Amino acid sequence: SGELYCSLPNPRNVRFESINMRNVLHWSAPEGTGDGVLYKVKYTVYGVGKWIRKPECRNINRTWCDLSNETSDYEEQYYASVKAFLNGTCSDWMETTRFNPLTDTKIDPPMVSVSSTDKSISIILTAPEKWKRSPEEESISLLQVYPGIRYNLSVLNKKTKKRWFFSISNNSLVVPWLEPGTAYCVSAQIHVTTPLLDSGFSKEHCITTLKDK
Amino acid sequence: GACRVSMSMTEIRAGFTAIKANIQSRDPIRTLSILSHPHSLHKVKSSDRCCITHLLFTFYVDKVFKHCRTEDSFVNRKISSIANSFLSVRRKLGQCREQNNCVCGEESTEKFKQILANYEGLNVTSAAMKSLGELDILLDWMEKSR
Amino acid sequence: EDALLPAPQNISILSINMKHFLTWSPVIVQGATVRYSVEFQGEYEREYANGSWIPILECSLTTATVCNITEDISATVAYKLRVRAELGATRSRWGKMKGFFNRVTTSLTPPLLRVLADGHHLLVELADMGPVFQFRLLYWKKGQESRVQQKVMREVSSVVHLDTMEAGAEYCVKAQTHIEAINRSSSFSPTQCVRAQGDTSMWL
Repeated sequence: SGELYCSLPNPRNVRFESINMRNVLHWSAPEGTGDGVLYKVKYTVYGVGKWIRKPECRNINRTWCDLSNETSDYEEQYYASVKAFLNGTCSDWMETTRFNPLTDTKIDPPMVSVSSTDKSISIILTAPEKWKRSPEEESISLLQVYPGIRYNLSVLNKKTKKRWFFSISNNSLVVPWLEPGTAYCVSAQIHVTTPLLDSGFSKEHCITTLKDK
Repeated sequence: GACRVSMSMTEIRAGFTAIKANIQSRDPIRTLSILSHPHSLHKVKSSDRCCITHLLFTFYVDKVFKHCRTEDSFVNRKISSIANSFLSVRRKLGQCREQNNCVCGEESTEKFKQILANYEGLNVTSAAMKSLGELDILLDWMEKSR
Repeated sequence: EDALLPAPQNISILSINMKHFLTWSPVIVQGATVRYSVEFQGEYEREYANGSWIPILECSLTTATVCNITEDISATVAYKLRVRAELGATRSRWGKMKGFFNRVTTSLTPPLLRVLADGHHLLVELADMGPVFQFRLLYWKKGQESRVQQKVMREVSSVVHLDTMEAGAEYCVKAQTHIEAINRSSSFSPTQCVRAQGDTSMWL
């Protein structure tokens, strides 16, 4: 293209932010440039010869660009790059570090659903799904991406304030022999040993066991 | 029979993660990969997996680590940790091959030749640093196919 | 190197539960502070890297006579260690530890275990010993020693739920550590027994 000499300061902190393999490129505006800066984005599959422009992120004024579609094959690794334009001048292309969707994504906590009887609570956990292009597309659970997933579960007795931890590999657990008419709060975390990936703990789901019959 | 090798992937993975950004920043070449193009490890048949793993561990031990010395003491110590772990695992894989549980098919031999060709296509220091920077490609493939 | 400054002596390794410490006797020079530097060499360095040695930064020019080498002894191969004394510009010869050290020889102690009963629930608390440790727990109902159950736990955080207990019954637990990286286990902790809440009377 016609850019001869690029004297504009560079975009800063160009990086991928990824959650459940929704991979979004983010950056900060060049230092000292007010409004009016526009950006272009390109990406490349590591080891393959060409950079590919992202048309939907051409001449944009926002400082992010969703590249989930282009980086959805998690058996590959990627670089992305951003260039800034203002008043006929431009910056250099500024690159990310090498992005590995498998190890560089963050995982959401599992969904927790809890039901109770008078003396037990039943907990069902659902691992988050990998990002997908459209609702119609087939869902892929992160269980399929990370075979070694385990769940860490915390169960808090609100009356005694005692907290117990469970470590389970399947996605359901029944905790019997509880106190009737007592509130229990459950939260869960996903744990992958290699690559080492932990979700945060989910928010607490509280339920009260039924009163004694 | 199958070739079951107990190895501490966690320690190797932790060692690599600690130096990944440093090592990959020393590799400016985006358009060439040693391990993943044109042939992807993920296309290796399960029957060839043990052989390719042994060939690759030998490749790293014999050719890669010794050319990755840096000016950074922390990085050198982590490379030593990974190299010694690879040596320990390679020995166990070698025992599998002796017990004929790790047969090399034509496809894996061909794929490994391509990897060597990619490696020899660069000067030795660049090739070694690029190979080290691609360790997660190997680890990801090994963990996926466990 | 300078013959005036003797090399450190009695260099040995203290290794417990995969924590490895190099120790040596101090080099005494009246009225002066002697410093020490430590280097290690793995099997890889001996066989593939011309016998090169790698300095341990945290133990370079240290006045201590102990060095935590755990981070660097992170493969199950034979390592060599060496220490030298330094006083200003004067350096001693390297004092070398006799023989090799392989972490497979670390001594393993049983885990610190606390067993609790909370109503009908059998709970345990285990002291965290680091990411390479797994815990193998054996538990049984007293009187049914032949029906021992097992649970393996990786990371442990505070109170972990082991199982539920029959009303009024007594349950016993013991634990050992296992380290996959060296394929060894500790001996078992002393057995601890607790009783579940509730009476053991039977409805007839």
